Amino acid sequence: MFRRKLFNVGFEAVATVDRRPFSIADLARYPLFPPEFLDFVRRVLPVERDQNVVHTVVVTGRRPL
Amino acid sequence: MSYFTDADARKIISTTYEKAQASTAVAAMLYAPEELSALPPGAVALALGVNHPVRHAALLRGERVLDIGCGAGIDTLLAARAVGSHGRVVGLDMTPAMLDRARGHIAEAGADNIELREGLMEALPFPDESFDVIVSNGVLNLSTRKSRALAEMLRVLRPGGRVALGDLVLTDTLPEAIMKDPTALAV
Repeated sequence: MFRRKLFNVGFEAVATVDRRPFSIADLARYPLFPPEFLDFVRRVLPVERDQNVVHTVVVTGRRPL
Repeated sequence: MSYFTDADARKIISTTYEKAQASTAVAAMLYAPEELSALPPGAVALALGVNHPVRHAALLRGERVLDIGCGAGIDTLLAARAVGSHGRVVGLDMTPAMLDRARGHIAEAGADNIELREGLMEALPFPDESFDVIVSNGVLNLSTRKSRALAEMLRVLRPGGRVALGDLVLTDTLPEAIMKDPTALAV
């Protein structure tokens, strides 16, 4: 969906150049989330998603000439 | 689907990032030790991105770069080093408190090819074709109008200009209870 949005507004050569899973432990590194929010996420998410809550990506693209 | 209005989302995000406490845990996860050792410690401790878009941006000496959502400036400083004294980097952020922090880190680094601007990614305060490259790191997801923000990026890039955007993507839907929690907006 991220790449599609870039294509839709007119970027070309859109590519995902990096993609890795983010776990709950990775999210816990951020000083943005209080412990109670992370506990809430652990309770609500199926345990099989603990290591794969979201993916971090880098998407590149180019404005056409 | 957005559970928050634009104004509410911006307020929640600004407040969350203004209150962020220093921690090197995120920077240690995303950047190489040799990159971090050459940066002001404060910029490292307030790194809150989700990837390393500057690494993938293939920056060249002399290029003009826009760092959207620059925060405390870690990617801005890395980009400034890459483009050198004949290049220029503009760091844009909507949170004055983060810009204040970035200003201090830039001064500490002695970087004289960086300018900071306050503004919104959905209405970039620059003329058309102002930049060669745009980077952003964990920022586009904070917008409730992503397509507008992307259209603005296209506008301010020169023809042939590039973007390298780091962000988080879902691999499956998250429960609505998480998506509706204001804390989740910072992700």
